[in-house]
Amino acid sequence: MRRPTTPSKSYLLHPLVALVAIGAATAVLAWLRGSLTTATVAILYLLPVGLSTALWGLGPGVVAAVAAFLALNFFFIEPYYTLTVHHTQDLLVLIVFLIVAGVLNQLVGRAQLGQALATANEREATRLYELSAGLAALNDEDSILRLLGEQALRALEADQVEVQRAGARDGEGRWRLPEGPSPKEGPPDAVAPVQSSKGRLGEIRLWRAAGPLTEAQARLLRTYAGQGALALDRARLREAETRAKVSEESDRLKSALLSSVSHELRSPLATIKAAVTSLSHEEVSWNSEARRDLLAAVEEETDHLNRLVGNLLDMSRIEAGALKPDRKWNALREIVEGVVRRMGAAFADHRLEVDVPDELPLVAVDYLQMDQVFTNLLSNCLKYAPPGTAVAVRAHPLADGWLDVEVTNQGPPVPAEHIERIFDKFYRVTNAERVTGTGLGLSICRGIIEAHGGRIWAENRPGGFAFRFRLPTTFEGHLPPAPLEAEAE
Amino acid sequence: MTAEPHILVIDDEPQILRALRTILREQRFHVTTASTGEEGLTLAAANPPDVVILDLSLPKMDGIDVCARLREWSQAPIIVLSVRDRENDKVLALDRGADDYLTKPFGIEELLARIRVALRHAALAHGSKTERVVSGPVTIDLVSHIVTREGAEVKLTGTEFRLLGYLAANAGRVLTHRMILTHVWGPEYADHTEYLRVYVRQLRKKLEPDADEPQILLTEPGIGYRLVATG
Repeated sequence: MRRPTTPSKSYLLHPLVALVAIGAATAVLAWLRGSLTTATVAILYLLPVGLSTALWGLGPGVVAAVAAFLALNFFFIEPYYTLTVHHTQDLLVLIVFLIVAGVLNQLVGRAQLGQALATANEREATRLYELSAGLAALNDEDSILRLLGEQALRALEADQVEVQRAGARDGEGRWRLPEGPSPKEGPPDAVAPVQSSKGRLGEIRLWRAAGPLTEAQARLLRTYAGQGALALDRARLREAETRAKVSEESDRLKSALLSSVSHELRSPLATIKAAVTSLSHEEVSWNSEARRDLLAAVEEETDHLNRLVGNLLDMSRIEAGALKPDRKWNALREIVEGVVRRMGAAFADHRLEVDVPDELPLVAVDYLQMDQVFTNLLSNCLKYAPPGTAVAVRAHPLADGWLDVEVTNQGPPVPAEHIERIFDKFYRVTNAERVTGTGLGLSICRGIIEAHGGRIWAENRPGGFAFRFRLPTTFEGHLPPAPLEAEAE
Repeated sequence: MTAEPHILVIDDEPQILRALRTILREQRFHVTTASTGEEGLTLAAANPPDVVILDLSLPKMDGIDVCARLREWSQAPIIVLSVRDRENDKVLALDRGADDYLTKPFGIEELLARIRVALRHAALAHGSKTERVVSGPVTIDLVSHIVTREGAEVKLTGTEFRLLGYLAANAGRVLTHRMILTHVWGPEYADHTEYLRVYVRQLRKKLEPDADEPQILLTEPGIGYRLVATG
């Protein structure tokens, strides 16, 4: 952008330069006076006059025209060195010169004004475009008001702009730009309300040393305020819409939870109740095998209930954002081994392959939460894997600061339309009546992995299905501690 | 021990109290029950128990406070009961002097096993200092600092022995990461669980028949370690 020259300077400078140009022209013409007619001299004088108008505007042009008129009369019309005119012909030359110079000035000057106006309009349009493009990308009120302030500061050549949100408490909802230690004192030079049909949303205040705003600038400021009001309205509308959607979604989830939970909680309770009432039935004498069976059922179902309640608790903690992993440097291998040991019996019908090297760098995770991730992923893999096939856990570090972990089975593939959603709450690929579970296990995994700054997803493999997740290898900017070796003693 | 061991159960759930009272009496224990921390402390003062079973979620006075108050004057082993959403309290209780923990719901065999360990530990603490701890094929002599596996001496570094010795002297008890790190490395190392992990792995390689399936040095997930004594 061209740097605008300060008006005070050019007011003096440009007429002076115009005068100098006429002076120079006079000197050249005076030197040639003997060989030129008065009419020729008059025509030649039009040259610096026209140039002055074209280069420096109407004012200097008029100065040049008057100076040229006087110089023409003084130096080139007899009697020389007076302003008197004797010949009618010379008078005509002078009059025609004055008219031509005047018309020339008018024409050139008007064209220039038009040009300047067009440029100003274009600049204004560009700024408005910039503003509305910037505003369109924003959705929160604070950034909208801030952007409004920044743009007004730039466009209106202000020294300081202050934007304030209506109804904001002290110390917030108020931005002063540019941010500096020395705020301007005194009343602002211009104020524009940010007003929508719903009332006053805020205010823009402007301080500038260059004096009050021109009509065009004031219009621009009002337009800015109007654009800001529109953007604020839109942001509020969108927020309300999001809130409505969230509450609708949570209603939907609540009813899904209720139906899932009541079904899931009731069926083990039914088993327990049936077994216990049978055992305490005094008229029936159970043989020891039948007793054992009934008691085993009770025990299994209580474990199942306990897992369900645990899952629900975890889910509500994830939802509430209260799942704060207690991250310590842990060996993944140890966690996996612990899970495998505890789940022991569940692997009876499957082959388990664990490839988690001992040399794997330690990773900063919450032991119990990762234990749960592996438990949930492994039990999910087992649930869908045909007997006799392999279930595998593998982990290896990637070059770019991530640890890659996968839990795979050789079960059937999951249709593409489900694979994205299996980590969603209560989402189930199979009919809920056929496979047990609340549909919470995988979404808990996702909650835990994301709380660790990682990412989890699922993919179909040739001949199987895989859960994969990645965990960052660094924690709070630290690399894993190097494994210590036994000290030499 | 001549008389029936006295077990004090502190829990605010009447159903749990009823079940434990019935089951433990059946196992020939003398059982008293309290449903608040204050009541438990009073009962313990009036009739010192051999083992205390303490629920952590109590109304008013919290289980952790009860634990700390009890430790001010009693050395009776404390087994804390906790539910899963208060896992961190468990570590806190162990650090404040509890000896062992169980997560609710638990199997009764597990509770009985923990009570037996606690009683044995209390009996040892009353008598002469433990000199030798046997765990499977491994014998740890706490006086001469000699460790043998199937009769052959195992060479341990100084730190390794301090760690093993501490676990052995508290055989059967859960020791939290913090307790072990503070005792073996010093208070400034209390958060460096990675040290512990490396040394435990080394010890397992030297002592366990299969370091991947530990039988002697057990990991208590997220809490600490426990050395299993077999004799």
